[in-house]
Amino acid sequence: MLFGRNKKNPIRIVDKSVVDWKYATCGYCSTGCSIEVGVNAAGEPVASRGVADADVNRGKLCIKGIFEHELFRQTPGRGTTPLLRKERFEPFREASWDAALDHTAAEIQRIQGQYGRDSFAIVSTGQIMTEEFYTLGKLARGVVGTNNYDGNTTLCMSSAVSGYKRSFGSDGPPGCYEDFEHTECLLAFGSNLPEQHPIIYWRLKEALETRKFPVIVVDPRVTMFAQMADMHLPVNPGTDLVLLNALAHVILKENLHKPDYIAAHTEGYEEFKALVEQYDPTTAAGICGIDEDRIRHVARVYAKAGAAMTIWTMGINQSTHGSDGVVAINNLNLITGNIGKPGGSSLSITGQCNAMGTREWSSCSGLPGYRALEKEKDREEIAKFWGIDPEFFPRKRGLFMTDILPAIETGQVKGLWLIATNPMTSMPNTARIRKTLEKLEFLVVQDAYRDVESNEYSHVYLPAAVWAEKEGCFTNTERRVNLIRNVCAPHGDSKPDLWIFNAVAQRFPQGRSMRFPENAEGVFSEMKQLSKGRMLDISGMTYDKIEKARGLQWPCPDGADKGSPRLYTDGAFRHPGGKAKLIPLPFIDNNERPDEEYPFWLNTGRVVEHFHTRTRTGKVGNANKFSPTPYMEMNPDAGARLGIRHGEYARLTSRRGETVVMVQLTQRVAPNAVFIPFHFHDCVNRVTLGLLDPHSRQPAYKQCAVRVERAADQMEAARQNVAARSY
Amino acid sequence: MFRPRSREQSYAFVPDVSHPVANRYGQPIETVPEGHALRGKSLNINSDAAIGNNPNRYKQHGFFFTADNCIACHACEAACSEKNDLPPHIAFRSVGYVEGGSWPSYQRLNISMACNHCDDPVCLKGCPTRAYTKFAEYGAVLQDPDICFGCGYCTWVCPYNAPQLDPLAGHVSKCNMCVDRLEVGLKPACAAACLAGALDFGIIETRPENRAQAETRIPGFPTPEITHPNIRFQQTKSLPREMTRPDSMPIRYVRDPRNGDAHVSQAQDAGRARGWGLKKLSTRENPIAVFTLLSQAVAGAFALLFLAPYFGVSLLAAETHPIAHPALLFGLIGAQTFALVLSTLHLGRPHRFYRAFNNLRWSPVSREVAGLAVFYNLLGLYAVIAAAPMLTAWLAPATVATVTGAIGWATAVAGLAAIYLMYRAYCIPARPFWNHWQALSSFFGSVLTLGALTLAALDVALTLVAGRAFAGVSAYLAWPMVAGLVLEGAGLVFHARDMKRQGGESAASDQIQTTDFGYTYYARNALLALSGVLMVVLTFTQAQGLPGLVLWLVVALFTLGASIVGRLLFYALVIPTTMPGAFFWKNRGFEEHARAVGLARMPQVGVVQANH
Repeated sequence: MLFGRNKKNPIRIVDKSVVDWKYATCGYCSTGCSIEVGVNAAGEPVASRGVADADVNRGKLCIKGIFEHELFRQTPGRGTTPLLRKERFEPFREASWDAALDHTAAEIQRIQGQYGRDSFAIVSTGQIMTEEFYTLGKLARGVVGTNNYDGNTTLCMSSAVSGYKRSFGSDGPPGCYEDFEHTECLLAFGSNLPEQHPIIYWRLKEALETRKFPVIVVDPRVTMFAQMADMHLPVNPGTDLVLLNALAHVILKENLHKPDYIAAHTEGYEEFKALVEQYDPTTAAGICGIDEDRIRHVARVYAKAGAAMTIWTMGINQSTHGSDGVVAINNLNLITGNIGKPGGSSLSITGQCNAMGTREWSSCSGLPGYRALEKEKDREEIAKFWGIDPEFFPRKRGLFMTDILPAIETGQVKGLWLIATNPMTSMPNTARIRKTLEKLEFLVVQDAYRDVESNEYSHVYLPAAVWAEKEGCFTNTERRVNLIRNVCAPHGDSKPDLWIFNAVAQRFPQGRSMRFPENAEGVFSEMKQLSKGRMLDISGMTYDKIEKARGLQWPCPDGADKGSPRLYTDGAFRHPGGKAKLIPLPFIDNNERPDEEYPFWLNTGRVVEHFHTRTRTGKVGNANKFSPTPYMEMNPDAGARLGIRHGEYARLTSRRGETVVMVQLTQRVAPNAVFIPFHFHDCVNRVTLGLLDPHSRQPAYKQCAVRVERAADQMEAARQNVAARSY
Repeated sequence: MFRPRSREQSYAFVPDVSHPVANRYGQPIETVPEGHALRGKSLNINSDAAIGNNPNRYKQHGFFFTADNCIACHACEAACSEKNDLPPHIAFRSVGYVEGGSWPSYQRLNISMACNHCDDPVCLKGCPTRAYTKFAEYGAVLQDPDICFGCGYCTWVCPYNAPQLDPLAGHVSKCNMCVDRLEVGLKPACAAACLAGALDFGIIETRPENRAQAETRIPGFPTPEITHPNIRFQQTKSLPREMTRPDSMPIRYVRDPRNGDAHVSQAQDAGRARGWGLKKLSTRENPIAVFTLLSQAVAGAFALLFLAPYFGVSLLAAETHPIAHPALLFGLIGAQTFALVLSTLHLGRPHRFYRAFNNLRWSPVSREVAGLAVFYNLLGLYAVIAAAPMLTAWLAPATVATVTGAIGWATAVAGLAAIYLMYRAYCIPARPFWNHWQALSSFFGSVLTLGALTLAALDVALTLVAGRAFAGVSAYLAWPMVAGLVLEGAGLVFHARDMKRQGGESAASDQIQTTDFGYTYYARNALLALSGVLMVVLTFTQAQGLPGLVLWLVVALFTLGASIVGRLLFYALVIPTTMPGAFFWKNRGFEEHARAVGLARMPQVGVVQANH
């Protein structure tokens, strides 16, 4: 063997000189991976790694988590000091926190005084800690008193929330990742785990390495997950509900359902049965584009499995009938008895790291701890706990985020506070959003990044600390409450969101009379008290206990050692009467469908290396480089017809507007469909429609019609694209 | 020693399993036997003298890639870049893919590739500085950036794109097999990070649990015959007949019944438009193009000058041209100096140029540089003796003549030998476009044509300066010029034929030659032929006077132009047998675009703005 030199120099391998590993939970998606951030002797975060004995990720991390330590110091565009301006077209000037917050509180009070309490809206996020959500809820509901208060979770999870509530009487995903180890059939709807939740995919893959079970993926695109599946159903866009009804039709027709379970734990069976009767596989095949034999086959495999589970993500949620889709999945699992048992579940794979936290504790859709504004008992309980008059609360939830923005457009809402959300990039129809935001008399943007696009329209910018510059909890997709320890001090003069909310509260008379705990653990103990005896009971948790267990799943009542992996194991649901509802779901096709003028379906989605609007991942070179600029997947046959070559720019037009995008020709998409990742500013959302779901008010990003042509001037198109990228 | 995580999971440890004695190529898996001098030594990682406790320390390890399972989630690449603290534009491991079929029966095959720590490490052999070492420990091939001077030759010879030349740092670096982790029994960071049950690691010729195959080929992976790479594959899913690459390389992979139904690379016949490709003609190898042409001209000019008397020709002889003769010699030295300076400045770390001789035993680059150094020094000696007769005045004239003659012969031979060694440096299996005798015919064609042209130019200039009329170019120079052109032309004819026949990357290069660079290529060929014909006509007709001078001048310019363009094409056209890239990452087409439109100005795009 040839070895080369005899005299060898010492081998140099990078040593980051980590002296301490600090425990945290990943701040990107809702998988909830336990992550350790390595700090060097100078206290600088220099490395990230998975926590080896954490049950969720078992030592693994995805590309985003692997570079998460870079967020603290290495990503450009972080805010360091509050910024103020009178008009949005003036330059910002730096201000002290006192000046910025005094001005903010004064403006909120002025607008509310002038136009009414609900004329000032607050739109938050799924990205900050649960303690911060709770505090923001207390501020919004108990101090500011606006009913136009929502989270951006309306863009991703509200269909799941709404569907769970309609079927089971409460929000809360009933299953867990461990279900993969028990299930005998997995059906995935509009979920591309390898790209969106790689760690959950790994958990599934590990389960499949030890025990084979059928995996069926429903997705119009041939995603990586579709290729790894045993069966792929490339359904026509927006027709999942018909497919689900047809599956139920076959199951009932062939007596594969569980009559005992249905009788004992559900209501509404007869109406449901009558409705699905109309959705025979032959009819459904014509609508879904999936042949009837295959529909029957899938129904039989699913129903005959000892335990079967369905997972889904935005393919279901971001639809004009997203809530119905979720209910239909629940229907399927209720008639087959697949709720609350190992391997049997309706498990929504959530988007943001703390989407669950905002659902549980932010009071966006009601009051903290899954309480409702509509219930007098809940209003009184919380008012008493907070020390305010219950009459201060509205008796009905106000507008969703997607209705707040049109209310700004037409002048009912005059002021807005955005917290860690970026509608300029994330909302459909960018031109309309610009027109909306410019109408605001007062816009506060609170974000870790000064260059977040929505800041273009703000009057006050409040620099927030990011992720583990703070301390607190996230809840993941499987209801696991996990901890983020403080890793380092906030960047510059940025402040934890909790500090900002508390400081704003102090500037209102009602806020000064209420208790706002200073640190996260103090807030957590308030939440514990409010959770006692409820479904999301966290009273058995403490920060140390959570860290030791690498996260605990609620319910975890006082005295319990462990959390609970599943809900509804006893078949007792949260509707009055304790039964789940089987709800008949007629399919109403109100999508904008391709026609002669706009002949392509436009679909949007994620890529693994980016998160949401790229304010973080767009600056992490080792993630961003895998898709540094937007692109559109297009079928090569369509490309050939339109004279568009691989790597060229196309011009996209819809009834909303136009955009340019680089084309990637691939057979991953159907000849009449195109796909564009949604992460990039001034790209796909310039043309999307986003019809709202009637129940969840979630936009249907994934279905609209566009026209595609080759950009006439390729260099100009390239320049236009570069001009739209500041990162 | 590397500190493992507390309560590390079992997947992260390299399994201690039994293995065959030798690998499939007959190489023992045990790198050195018990009692060998290389045993029991510390790897000295960051000067830590400790010795790892891995029970299989002296066994060849390698990656195992289950291509069936890879989802292209980038976790392996990210784990690698995080551990090695790499800037975005550098990656020791990259995931590319090929795809095929038609919606919805579409399939994408992802390939994660780093260094394969080969049995026959061509990087180690090729490196002139001996920056590479294959260690008895794990059979790891490691590279030391502190020794490297950034010539990039290893990046030419490696078929897998493993060595990474960093244009900003000016040196190469590569996968280090995470030997620090191996010392404590842990798999490399990439394998431990895999999220799909695709990338694994262990003793070579062993299979991870649940894996049925251990193949050496998958579509997109170059032939293992070049280096005997230490990687094994499982790929059991049926693949479409034809797979294409998402990057700009015009290569596809087609199932070949003559090759056991394995996918072989073919040129992508995408109906590329014919153009001049002038912008792409300029590459980062421009200095090397000039360096080779100048060196060949100098070697040729000297040989022709020195050999003239042996053919009974009086050409620029010292006796008739007491000033011009030594001036010419020093002119040649000047040209060669310029060429050497250019090639040195082309290094990432020019101040380490002296390391070029460190690997005479294996490296064609070391030998090329050594050949040129010998030639250069002999040429100097010859020039000094010729220019300063007083230095040898104390010797008998006959002795001087003998010594001068001997040095002259040695110089001429050394020059030609250096050009041969230069050609040897291009015999690279991973670069099939170069790996052909056409490189030899082109280099020696230039020796003849440019060497003779140089002397002819000077000869004619002297004639004109002396006020005499142009009386044609000496046949002694004209015929070598013609011969050089014929040699070049013949090489090109056979080269084009063979490239088409070889298929794969060779045919793809040929296709680009006749499409993207089509007009340039055909214009060069026409110039070459026209120059040859004109030279013959002008020599036979003994063209004289102003018309003769003008015609010869035109021919000279044609010849020079054809030579320069031909050499630029030589560098611009080579398509290495590297791994497929992705749509953005490792896509040369996107990199060029990003530079052209300014995307590359953002460092997080991962494309270095300047190409040089």
